[in-house]
Amino acid sequence: MSRPEIRQWRPEPTPPPDLAALLGQVARGDHRAFELVYAELSGPVYGVVRQVLRDPAQSEEVAQEVLLEIWRTASRYDQDRGSAAAWALTIAHRRAVDRVRSENACSRREQKAAEPEPAEDDVAETVAATLEYQRVRRCMGGLTELQRESIKLAYYSGYSYPQVAQLLGVALGTVKTRIRDGLIRMRDCMEVTW
Amino acid sequence: MKVIGDDLHVLTGSYVLDAVSDAELAEFEHHLQHCPTCAAEVRGLRETAARLALARAFAPPPRMEQRVLAATYRTRQLPPLPREQVRAAGRFPRHLAVVSFPRRLAVPRRLAVLAAAASVAAALALGASQLSAQHQLDRARTTAIARVVTAPDARVETARTSAGGSVTVVTSAALREAVVSPAGLAPLSSGRVYQVWVLSPSGARSAGLLHDTSLLASAVRSGDRIGITVEPAGGRTHPTTSPVAILPV
Repeated sequence: MSRPEIRQWRPEPTPPPDLAALLGQVARGDHRAFELVYAELSGPVYGVVRQVLRDPAQSEEVAQEVLLEIWRTASRYDQDRGSAAAWALTIAHRRAVDRVRSENACSRREQKAAEPEPAEDDVAETVAATLEYQRVRRCMGGLTELQRESIKLAYYSGYSYPQVAQLLGVALGTVKTRIRDGLIRMRDCMEVTW
Repeated sequence: MKVIGDDLHVLTGSYVLDAVSDAELAEFEHHLQHCPTCAAEVRGLRETAARLALARAFAPPPRMEQRVLAATYRTRQLPPLPREQVRAAGRFPRHLAVVSFPRRLAVPRRLAVLAAAASVAAALALGASQLSAQHQLDRARTTAIARVVTAPDARVETARTSAGGSVTVVTSAALREAVVSPAGLAPLSSGRVYQVWVLSPSGARSAGLLHDTSLLASAVRSGDRIGITVEPAGGRTHPTTSPVAILPV
């Protein structure tokens, strides 16, 4: 589950642009603003989709859809309800999970596209290991084993909580509670303010 | 006293991780609208989940940017929601209509276009590394070029040049634009440059000087041809040497 070789992804010292303001511009059809949004969000979007789907070709396809969705629905982002990154990553994670679940429902989709997919070599695999990664790892360390596993299986592997319960051999109610308690602990540990 | 509300409340965590079954989802989202405490908790936990995503950021393949940026030009945006609806919807919309990404890869011709697009993008990346002031210009040009190479009617022509290497021209008749990309042209002595011409029955019109990166030629009509000549530095208003390459558009 955890990736052993983690490398830096965009170690940029410059302050991140104001995504919420940029999304406002994007909602008004500003392509230039969208390029900046893309620069900011494509890594996290692709990363989380890939984390769930694993298959690079499929992840690329879904990440493209998500980024285009951000363009299309920028006017629906509401600052009062959360950060721009959370809005975008919510779309990304849901889209990835929807893909997993629809694939499980139907038989496995024909995945042989006409496009020859270049093998992603290790050098190109610049996994996010920003401060965020370190912080998440540290805070994950503060959870109980069951909390940590439940959260990872649900979020990173895209399982529903009943599936998580089955995988871990615990009661449904237990998993629900552990996920919530674990996330609350993560929230406080990472000093998330919203 | 244990009530159903409490049971639902425990779902906040599973909800932000998208781990709730569809049946419970509707019930929980309904509950959210009447439970400000739950809504507040969901907000905080959603931000927390976003951190889990950020921790897994992973640079996507470079070609993705061109595709997405080009697609935005073909995609109409949603209007904002009326204010009262914004207030009522105490959550992020779950089921947004699926935007299908055009599958441009079904036909072999597409591969050629995309291969050309990739080399154009690579060439642009080199050009864009000059940075800052030039950067914004390059971005605009990249976008314009991406629009051409991903146009539904994009056509690709490649020809060897008598100056070595090759030139690829991607044309969109609908956009009336062509992208000219050099590859491996012999370096010229100082004082000489490659110049690109749009050749039509009415004569030759300069489309600009060709450096290491791609060049965008506008107002191109079908039946025109693209010619490349070697000219004195700064270029000329009319070609003064025979072309090293001529390609149809």
